[in-house]
Amino acid sequence: MLAFKMLLRSWRGGQLRLIFASLVLAVAVVTSVALLAERVERALIAESSSFLAADLVVRSSKPFNPQWLQRAAEEGVRTAQTVSFASMTYHGDEMHLASVKAVESSYPLRGAVKRSQTPFATDEADIELVTQGPARGELWVDSRLLPLLDIQLGDAIELGDGSFTVSQILIEEPDGGSSFSMFGARILMNWQDLDKAAVIQPGSRVNYRLLLADGDDFEGYVDWLKPQLSVHERLITPDEAQASIASTMDRGRRFLLLAGSIGVVLAGIALALASHHFANGQTLQVALLKSWGIAARRVRSLYLQQIVLLGVIGSVIGLVLGWAFHQLLISAVREWLPIALPMAGPRPWITGMATGMLCLAGFTLPALWHLPAQSPLAVLRRDTPINNLNAAARGSLGVLAVALLLFWYSNNLWLSLAILLGFALTAMASIAVGLLLLRLGKTYGHWMGSIWRLALSNLWRRKKPSLIQMVGFSGAIALLMIMVVVRTSLIDEWRWQLADDAPNHFLVNVAAHELDGVKQLIDQRELETAGWYSMVRGRITLLNNLPPADVVPEDHESLRRELNLSWTRDLPEGNKVIQGQWWDDSTPQNGALAPVSLEEDIAKELGLKLGDTIQFSVGGLTFDAVITSTRSLNWDNMTPNFYFLFPEGYLEEYPRTHMTSLYIPAEEKLLVNDLLRKYPTVQVIELDKIIDRIRTIVSQVTRGLEMMTLLILGCGIVVMFAAVSLSMQERLQESAILRTLGSSRRLILGVQWVEFSTLGLMAGLLAALGAEFAVAMLQRFMFSLPFNWHPWLWMVGPVAGGLLVGVLGVAYSRKAVTQPPLQVLNSL
Amino acid sequence: MIDVSSISKQVVTSEGTLCILDNINLSVQAGETLAIVGASGSGKSTLLGILAGLDLPTSGTVSINGEDITAMDEEGRAAVRAGHVGFVFQSFHLLPGLTALENVALPLELQGVSDALQTAAHYLERVGLAARVGHYPRQLSGGEQQRVALARAFACRPTILFADEPTGNLDTGTGAKINDLLFDLNQEEGTTLILVTHEKTLAARCGRTLELQAGRQINSGNNA
Repeated sequence: MLAFKMLLRSWRGGQLRLIFASLVLAVAVVTSVALLAERVERALIAESSSFLAADLVVRSSKPFNPQWLQRAAEEGVRTAQTVSFASMTYHGDEMHLASVKAVESSYPLRGAVKRSQTPFATDEADIELVTQGPARGELWVDSRLLPLLDIQLGDAIELGDGSFTVSQILIEEPDGGSSFSMFGARILMNWQDLDKAAVIQPGSRVNYRLLLADGDDFEGYVDWLKPQLSVHERLITPDEAQASIASTMDRGRRFLLLAGSIGVVLAGIALALASHHFANGQTLQVALLKSWGIAARRVRSLYLQQIVLLGVIGSVIGLVLGWAFHQLLISAVREWLPIALPMAGPRPWITGMATGMLCLAGFTLPALWHLPAQSPLAVLRRDTPINNLNAAARGSLGVLAVALLLFWYSNNLWLSLAILLGFALTAMASIAVGLLLLRLGKTYGHWMGSIWRLALSNLWRRKKPSLIQMVGFSGAIALLMIMVVVRTSLIDEWRWQLADDAPNHFLVNVAAHELDGVKQLIDQRELETAGWYSMVRGRITLLNNLPPADVVPEDHESLRRELNLSWTRDLPEGNKVIQGQWWDDSTPQNGALAPVSLEEDIAKELGLKLGDTIQFSVGGLTFDAVITSTRSLNWDNMTPNFYFLFPEGYLEEYPRTHMTSLYIPAEEKLLVNDLLRKYPTVQVIELDKIIDRIRTIVSQVTRGLEMMTLLILGCGIVVMFAAVSLSMQERLQESAILRTLGSSRRLILGVQWVEFSTLGLMAGLLAALGAEFAVAMLQRFMFSLPFNWHPWLWMVGPVAGGLLVGVLGVAYSRKAVTQPPLQVLNSL
Repeated sequence: MIDVSSISKQVVTSEGTLCILDNINLSVQAGETLAIVGASGSGKSTLLGILAGLDLPTSGTVSINGEDITAMDEEGRAAVRAGHVGFVFQSFHLLPGLTALENVALPLELQGVSDALQTAAHYLERVGLAARVGHYPRQLSGGEQQRVALARAFACRPTILFADEPTGNLDTGTGAKINDLLFDLNQEEGTTLILVTHEKTLAARCGRTLELQAGRQINSGNNA
């Protein structure tokens, strides 16, 4: 096969090295990024599934329809039922209102239960991971139940009508985060012991859960199930299971997507530059083939075959390298990566292969396609114009290829458009500003000595390749900056949210007469609360003077139960007014209608808007309120949030309770026992275990981001290298001639240094502009992070650009001064 | 073999229309050798390009073996070149990534010749480079590179060989050796040779000389 022979010879002759290296590295980087992203993403999904102990959960206040379980069994969908309720437990004279959960033997479907034989165990060696619940007759209990009931492991305690043996300490249940332990210590029991205990009576306040996972057609089963859910049943996805985890994971996923997309674009730039270099080197061969009478069609076919061969060989090697590279990175950080990464599907491999083939086709074929149509006269006259596509048209075809790839990779039109537009803007600015800067340099360079004069006039003389290089450099630097900035702000944001002393316990239902005592208990342990909030429990009785059932079609949860109403003068931290106005000093404190501020989602769900009225009933007394504002809440910061807030002066007359959130370190955990023993009606919501899990996940996501950043930086260096290689032949030739004419080593390397570092400096400056713009867009629209300026970009961009490009350029052109000039000229 | 009838070539420049060739008439028989001579810019290379079917005249016709190549499209002229024509260039035009052997073999392989590498090796041996077949152009001297180019041109067994200043880039001694080789091979293969040169001694070795001055044919005759 002639095309293969020609390709092999070109490889041996050295013409293919740059394009081949760019292709292999581009495919390797995109493949490893895609592999890593998919595996980390799958791990995140698995992690969030374990948060539910299932892939999907149905929650209900009634037992589940047996048909659902039967259908699930038929479809191969695994199920586990759980039921949670509060129940008194006794041992001798001691008693405690425990939070009991009965589980079927298949529980948990995802994740594992942590149990131990050592109370309050924190050492991993003492903790056992099991994928089952307690056997019949056994209870697994929270460590603090032991001192509360004054028992040891192996003792029997009374629960309902039954007596059960406490066989294990329950350290953590995977879905512990989805239901707060509001009534004290957790007890896990076997589902089949429910009859023996006989604690669930008609009208008991219980929470049933149906855990679902796996199955041949899981989606099909869920689609079948959904229409059968009544208002009492709700489907819970892993994302909904925990709001703060969902947003962390969602941002983590978006970052992986962004990083992968940047990898794709960088690969595109590297291949565009290498293809340009390759196509330029083919003009003589094409002219010769034409002069020998080879028809344009055949020349084209020969090149097409070579490109396809090159693409396949390069991409396959790239895929293998990409796999090896991602394995290397994973093994390098394995000790920090506590979870096993699941295997990836076929998509990363397809993405890698498509990157190679599409980018090569998109950038190389347009550059070569018109060459065969050129006049064969070029063999006689070097000045014969080459009728190939102009750079803009060629670039557009390549960009189209990258756009297709980006869209395929991200499946997100807006992200693809944002990256492409950002890049296009940087490229256009690079050309316009670059031309201006080059002209200024040429005009004023003569004031700066011979090296500068020569270097700046060289840049101007070679303005076309200089501008192409500048687009490459600035694009690569800008994309790397975007990566680093978004990564840093995401990680900072998470660290801020989950500061070491972030509140991990809520104290609710503290009566007014208990408040001082509770405060004293907290002060004794030298702990700090996030401030005390007063609240009043009330129900909604009318919406715009109509019964709620007439206005809200569905039986909304907020209409069924008592709501927590609170009051405050100032807008709480993390709250943002979306519509209307927050009250000020001029707001009357005793008007006929109380102003109320609603959380925006609940306002939407109840179909309420500004100016609408709500009637509340508190302890049999009613009062009317008018909606003056809606707010968004920040659920990530672990401080009390209220759906309904009033100004001071309206609710104070009603019986109220108090609540707060505080950080209780592990060693002070027994404070909860003291509190509950002394104030049995106080409810403690324990978030410490959830927060620990969030921390674990955040640290895993952070590691994932670090690895991606590293990979993308590698890809950026490839682009830089490809760009530096572009004009190297001409530069080496000129340097060899200068050397022949007796120029010093200092002058030659100095000129190269000035040329490349000037290019890098200008590119860095333009990159800072592009990156600042793109980051602002991404933070605003993709990551919902606050916008802020990054002055360091404007410093680091030009300095790093100048240094990096300068060093690469000089390293590359050292040959011009280390080898005899004739040898250099002959080798070109 | 080649019949040229009233060809002219004009190009439009920013300073107006420039006449590069003006009413050239010529007939070259098979096996003949013709030198096109003239000062720089007299139109020699343009004429060579038109005769070889690499370029088109503004008016007039060129026939090769009775076929009017000026009436053909580029694909037609390519077919004529593939069947009849070989080239030797002033700057050798060897492909830098191919060895001497591969440079000579490439046009043969493109023609589908089955023993391309053996034929190429034979011609390289004929030009005295048997020991350098595996060398790349950058490892060869100028004279050696032009010898590879001669081997490449003759290996395809063209009926007409066009040579554009074949020794223009070489020193006198090397140039003389290349000329000897060119004429020897030409005689052995019975090729029609049309060469452009401004060297009087080289022109004198051809059977006929056509002299151009500012695009006009001022002298055409047999050499003594």
